[in-house]
Amino acid sequence: MKTLADLRKIREKAQQDMKLRNAGSRFKIVVGMGTSGIAMGAREVMKTFLDEIATRQIVDVVVSQTGEKGLSSMEPVVDIIEEGKETITYGNMNSEKVKRVVSEHIVNGQPVNDYIISRD
Amino acid sequence: MQDLSLHLLDIIENSTRAGASLIKISIDADEKKDVLKFKIEDNGSGMDADTLNNALNPFYTSKESREKKVGLGIPLFMQNAELCEGSFHVTSKLGKGTDLEAIFKKSHIDRMPVGSLADTIIGSLIGHAETDFYLKITHNTRDEVFEYEFDTRVLKEELGDIPLTYPDVIQYIMEDVNNGIKNTKMGEI
Repeated sequence: MKTLADLRKIREKAQQDMKLRNAGSRFKIVVGMGTSGIAMGAREVMKTFLDEIATRQIVDVVVSQTGEKGLSSMEPVVDIIEEGKETITYGNMNSEKVKRVVSEHIVNGQPVNDYIISRD
Repeated sequence: MQDLSLHLLDIIENSTRAGASLIKISIDADEKKDVLKFKIEDNGSGMDADTLNNALNPFYTSKESREKKVGLGIPLFMQNAELCEGSFHVTSKLGKGTDLEAIFKKSHIDRMPVGSLADTIIGSLIGHAETDFYLKITHNTRDEVFEYEFDTRVLKEELGDIPLTYPDVIQYIMEDVNNGIKNTKMGEI
């Protein structure tokens, strides 16, 4: 592992950042990582979310992966959970679609209807 | 699965679903012994003998959607190891956890490529922030030994309440894991 001094710097910056924004996470992104999801490319989907969050410096989202999805015909599947709103599930995801979801849904608050497979 | 790193991801998902709070992953390549070994140990809920048997059986599925606890993941990984003059062992204790070991003959013509270990590791440890991961990669070439270790417990202690999905933390993890694994030359085998 790299030097811990780097981590301390990140921590200080993040603490400042969070104080300013006074915010927890606005969105929770859950990538379905069951066997069929993995076989269909869910890892690349996860990777693209992380890349986008890092490069766009999005601080108010949490990303997790779970093996508990059961929609094999529409994998890779992604849930976007926002407090007080319905959960939106996107299906047949890939890298390009993730980029659009990040820019339109996460950044601008407009769900991408083309990719939605369920809402509840 | 197209490569071994995707099998590894599938096994990690099993461990997290079993409620593991710590997952230890070791990957050893040894050119002299011509062996490639994956070992995944977790402290999750474990399985009793019947469930373990079922987990190894490709024809077993309870198929009650979310009740489904095992699937094709483990049998496929096992088959791949056995196809390569390797071996596959799972030991599990209810309430204690599960240890899985898959061994491949490294030079076997049917051995799948390792694939992107970094992508599997980065996604898993950020995507399961509540689980601790300890990773150790050892690559023993004919004249050198390359090693890489990553322990999320150290990382989390330094970060305190800063989430792993904070942008700079993602960057830090990506850089460290990508470079670390690259330096072991594991990606090339």
